[in-house]
Amino acid sequence: MTKGVKLLIGIVVLIFSVAVVFAVMGLKKSESTWVEIVQNNKVIYKLDLSEEKDRTFRIEYPDGGWNDVQIRDGHICISDADCPDHTCIKTGELRSENIPIVCLPHKLVIRFSDEGAGK
Amino acid sequence: MRAQKIARLALLTALALIIFIIELRIDIIPIPGAKLGLANIITVYAVYKYSVKETAMIVFARVLLGVIFGGNISAIIYSMAGAVFCLTGMLLVKRIVPLKYIWLSSIIGAILHNTGQIIVAVIVMRSLAVLSVYPFLIITGCVAGAFTGLCAQFLIRRNLPEKENKN
Repeated sequence: MTKGVKLLIGIVVLIFSVAVVFAVMGLKKSESTWVEIVQNNKVIYKLDLSEEKDRTFRIEYPDGGWNDVQIRDGHICISDADCPDHTCIKTGELRSENIPIVCLPHKLVIRFSDEGAGK
Repeated sequence: MRAQKIARLALLTALALIIFIIELRIDIIPIPGAKLGLANIITVYAVYKYSVKETAMIVFARVLLGVIFGGNISAIIYSMAGAVFCLTGMLLVKRIVPLKYIWLSSIIGAILHNTGQIIVAVIVMRSLAVLSVYPFLIITGCVAGAFTGLCAQFLIRRNLPEKENKN
């Protein structure tokens, strides 16, 4: 095992442990009940999940395409979409502050927001 | 470039493409962007077995065709960024990492692949929100990279008949 290999293994281990630390931190549940839906970097919806009724609504993307956002029992998720990868659907319900629901093809992000919490 | 070489590179590209397309159907990890990256077995193999130019040809042909066959043209910018980062990194790392530690350069390639995709995602979405997935991508990338690296290592150890074809 040469010096270079040892060094690289060290770097990889370091990156991996840092990532684990951040990932564990990212898994903590959000205390906020406010979520914002951001499309193309503009906030288009701001919702208080604790007060929302169960419903499903569709967000259209200007260039064609849509995402169906579902709110149920105070949880929000994307239930259906016509994007090619369906990553946004597989992400499931929004749970953590640090893991937003992202639909890259439609430039859509659903995430918890703190700003609305005080209102 | 001799016809035999071209055929060999084309075969590898086709193999990588097939693996890539099959893999599209079996994504089970619910993290956006996380993949097994099985097609990179071919990339790692090529990095150690062929020249820089030849490897680059295989990888870019695979990415281009993969995007067309996968039916997700908009993903090309992510795939390309990932491929460029991964390839550059692995070609550099190859100089210090011997054949015995292919899994290591594969892991580094995987980390760089995810880094490239995240950077492009940040630029495209003009938002840092996607950064939060980054740690998860690193973790899955390390595991997947080690796996594909070991696959490539076993492949190379088999020493597929390269020399007996000397005409």
